[in-house]
Amino acid sequence: MKISGSYTIRAPRQAVWDRLIDPQAIAGCLPGVEKLNQVGQDEYEMSMTVGIGPVRGTYEGKVRLANMNPPDEYQMQVEGSGRPGFVRGTGTVRLADGPNSTTQITYEGDVEVGGPVAGVAQRMLGGVAKRLVEQFFSCIEKQITSS
Amino acid sequence: MQITVKVNGVAHTHDVEPRMLLVHFLRDVLNLTGTHIGCDTSQCGACTVLMNGKAVKSCTVFAVQADGAEITTIEGLARDGQLHPVQEGFWEMHGLQCGYCTPGMIMTAVDLLQRIPNPTEEQIRHYLEGNLCRCTGYQNIVRAVQYAAEKMRA
Amino acid sequence: MAVTKLFGASVKRREDPRLITGRGNFTDHIRLPGTLFMALKRSPHAHARIVRVDVSKARAMPGVVAVYTGQDLVDKLAPVPCAWLIPNSDLKVPSYRALAVDKVRYVGDAVAAVVAENRYVAEDALEAIDVEYEVLPAIVDQEQATQDGAPQLYDDVPNNIAFHWKLHAGDFDSAWNQAEVKLSRRLINHRLIPTAMEPRGALAHYNPGTGDLTIWCTSQNPHVHRLLLSAVTGIPETRIRVIATDVGGGFGSKIPMYSGEMLASAISRDLGRPIKWFESRRENYVATTHGRDHIQYVDLAATREGKVTGIRVKSYANLGAYLSTASPGVPTWLFGLMLCGAYAIPAVHVDVFGVVTNTTPTDAYRGAGRPEATYLLERMMDLLARELGMDPADIRRKNFVPKEQFPYTTATGLQYDSGNYEATLDRALELVNYQQLRREQEELRAQGRYLGIGFSTYVEVCGLAPSAAAGAMGFQGGLWESATVRVHPSGKVSVFTGSNPHGQGEETTFAQIVADELGISIDDVEIVHGDTEMIPFGMGTYGSRSLAVGGTAVIMATRKVKEKATKIAAHLLEVAPEDVTFENGRFFVKGAPDRAKTFQEVAGAAYLAWSMPEGVTPGLEETHFHDPINNTFPFGCHICVAEVDADTGKVSFRKYVAVDDVGNVVNPMIVDGQVHGGIAQGLAQAVYEYAAYDENGQLLTATLMDYAVPKASMLPRFDVDRTVTPTPVNPMGAKGAGETGTIASTPAVANAIIDALSPFGIDHLDIPLTPERIWRAVQERRG
Repeated sequence: MKISGSYTIRAPRQAVWDRLIDPQAIAGCLPGVEKLNQVGQDEYEMSMTVGIGPVRGTYEGKVRLANMNPPDEYQMQVEGSGRPGFVRGTGTVRLADGPNSTTQITYEGDVEVGGPVAGVAQRMLGGVAKRLVEQFFSCIEKQITSS
Repeated sequence: MQITVKVNGVAHTHDVEPRMLLVHFLRDVLNLTGTHIGCDTSQCGACTVLMNGKAVKSCTVFAVQADGAEITTIEGLARDGQLHPVQEGFWEMHGLQCGYCTPGMIMTAVDLLQRIPNPTEEQIRHYLEGNLCRCTGYQNIVRAVQYAAEKMRA
Repeated sequence: MAVTKLFGASVKRREDPRLITGRGNFTDHIRLPGTLFMALKRSPHAHARIVRVDVSKARAMPGVVAVYTGQDLVDKLAPVPCAWLIPNSDLKVPSYRALAVDKVRYVGDAVAAVVAENRYVAEDALEAIDVEYEVLPAIVDQEQATQDGAPQLYDDVPNNIAFHWKLHAGDFDSAWNQAEVKLSRRLINHRLIPTAMEPRGALAHYNPGTGDLTIWCTSQNPHVHRLLLSAVTGIPETRIRVIATDVGGGFGSKIPMYSGEMLASAISRDLGRPIKWFESRRENYVATTHGRDHIQYVDLAATREGKVTGIRVKSYANLGAYLSTASPGVPTWLFGLMLCGAYAIPAVHVDVFGVVTNTTPTDAYRGAGRPEATYLLERMMDLLARELGMDPADIRRKNFVPKEQFPYTTATGLQYDSGNYEATLDRALELVNYQQLRREQEELRAQGRYLGIGFSTYVEVCGLAPSAAAGAMGFQGGLWESATVRVHPSGKVSVFTGSNPHGQGEETTFAQIVADELGISIDDVEIVHGDTEMIPFGMGTYGSRSLAVGGTAVIMATRKVKEKATKIAAHLLEVAPEDVTFENGRFFVKGAPDRAKTFQEVAGAAYLAWSMPEGVTPGLEETHFHDPINNTFPFGCHICVAEVDADTGKVSFRKYVAVDDVGNVVNPMIVDGQVHGGIAQGLAQAVYEYAAYDENGQLLTATLMDYAVPKASMLPRFDVDRTVTPTPVNPMGAKGAGETGTIASTPAVANAIIDALSPFGIDHLDIPLTPERIWRAVQERRG
């Protein structure tokens, strides 16, 4: 399943970049994250509890940041599995300066959902993926503005 | 957890795991295998039983929730060697083929006729939506329920 | 033919009392002390290399007795067999391990088996198994799978093509070159999930003391499963007993040999304890075979008068990740041979590519190949009618094999036994009041309402036979059936049949036949099926063959019994056998009806054996293996009348008429039931059911929440009628009725909906015709 979109954060590019590669900041803005441990250079293990439609479950997974090109672009690879199934995805996040010291974020990615959750998740996610991503960026934005 | 459930008129007391489903309690603990399992998402209705007189899908009820309840399964429907009119209707009208959905279908139909003694065909088809049959195309199931309705009114 | 009291009567089913009181003998009801439960860890990925399987945590869990990986069983269990090795097709049968060893190839491919003290613990332990996969690109679409550069499932199956099967009969090329009308279409016959209400399962019990394996399982063909289980486990056939008494529906999906039954058997032998395995519905959806899934390119040649002169089909059949037991034969022989349908078409060219993809394996599903052929033909007939401005009823009539020409040999080489196709069409037209219906259609259109009338004038091949034909087609088995008729000393009769009903009611129909033949009460006849220990051998129930083939075996065995009983009766009556008449259960001397012995007296005498005729042995029991001379060919006309709401795409059914000709009918009530259920499944393919995969090979319709098995409120009432054209192939004149409804109804419904949409210039849409698909098509045309 392909997802793509853009979001504008009212903060300068470097500040946004710093947050977007900061594991604690990410963990704080992803729903249901229960732990996030660094296990290597730009590689993290996490566990999160997510409900997709009627199927709720805990996923254990890995997040890897790659092709880091600060403060312009990086790739994120996510892999998680749990009783309801698994999620795998890769995405590219690009940052560009916007007007009035804002940052334009564009993202595109490909997500695969498998296992028992696949049927439900794909239909649900199709509709809500964009909103979830926007929630994430808006949370990051709040972190920056409140600090 | 200890529970006491009255099934087909007989009280049973057992220790069960809190996560045990009522359908597994009936089948695996009480050996009442007439209640069938056809899915794991509560769509098919093969496991339908009467709980305190109302049709429930026993795969969506935990055994512990049935503590103190009265359950009627397909094995308890016939009384004194007399088939229930719904059972009779299924036999007379060829309302079953493989027979796997039949116990649940019959229990739902019993519940239907308690609520609507003289249902229209549309009402019957609507009421049976929670019970899937793959063999009959439902036509003879509808006739079976109509047969029972008539018999019960007489 | 002895048409007596019970033949033709709607006798109430003798199997029902146990089934309506919750006393059926379904596999999951069987309990044995010391039983362990097996659960299977299945791949969540459609295509991946297995890097590592770590079962240590699962093994250490309390209540877990053993955990097996593919590697553990390599030497204990041969691969899942494929038993239809179609010749001259460059067939490749890749190894299909019950537990995958190096690679998984579909979501649901099993990688490990847990055995535990109860099902809850077994399920918990699955969670503790850690499988590391290296995910590979997956391929789902069978046509794309044959393109260069597509992901490859196997090193030795280039372009994923497991076979290329051809049948070129007649001169299609010149028919095409000379054709006044040419139609070319790409049709999709999408994938379906059989969905027997009882999922599959097994209870296997190996006794290390005797070396006997007894397995209760959900089987349409217990002897075939015994043979295959013997082949994969190495346990001799003589030591295996397969029991399948009550089976909760099959529709083809309980024919194949599967990993679950194999694993339960092998692990029971390994541990010396009974092993029960029962799949969940989700498991059933990903790991029990699916059906259909063809992409068909069709070229139809015809004259301007509407006479079809040739048909060419190139079909891509999606076999799924592995070749299931009968999978190569279904989209080839059972499809290609039937491409003449009810019509005299002189040239038929078929090329079928069997393609492996990262999806659940496909195999027989009710109709198996014949629905795919019938849908194609019936859709093309409507397109031809549209092209020529002809009535769809007329175009069919014009092309029918005329009734004077039976037995009729088709271009594809089948010999149609008997038929009167026009009679079913005429009767159906009368029942729907066709002319008035067309007028009404016009009137409604003027009001912006869209009524459609859809035809399907089908013929199907059933009673699959004879064995020599099976051999020529590469089917690794015979297509006969066996029966033993055992008369007990009291005169009561046990009949052992190799047919194995799972809803078809043979305990009733076979008893009707035997009671008639012997002139005894039906209550004195017991039908025994589904136990390899009791029955000589059996090919099983599928392909609408039980009555035509299995029933004939029963009759022939019964007649042998009568022959012997006549000799004994003659001896007792002190006359020659030629001077004895047998009627209504009594043997009497011709011309002296008072000098008589009852059937029961003769049975008693046969067992006392105090005084037997010269050369006649004691006892009264006969076995017959019946290999029919030909298939049977039921036919009929189904007409669907449906209204489409052009603003929402919603379809409502106004009327559904089925006029079938299945030859003589033993039990009309049971045949009606078969037709109803068949129509429901075929109609559902036309408008509801669809097994959907995403591009990564995830089955999106993996539960009954997502896969649209019709509910009572989603189906119309069916008006069922019959004409009777007996077959000369068997003594009953009966043809077979199990699949007619499914075969006929999909095109009838699709044709009705497309007819309704014709004012929008729509002449074809691929099924299933969901509201969304219809709505989009209408929106597009409306601009």
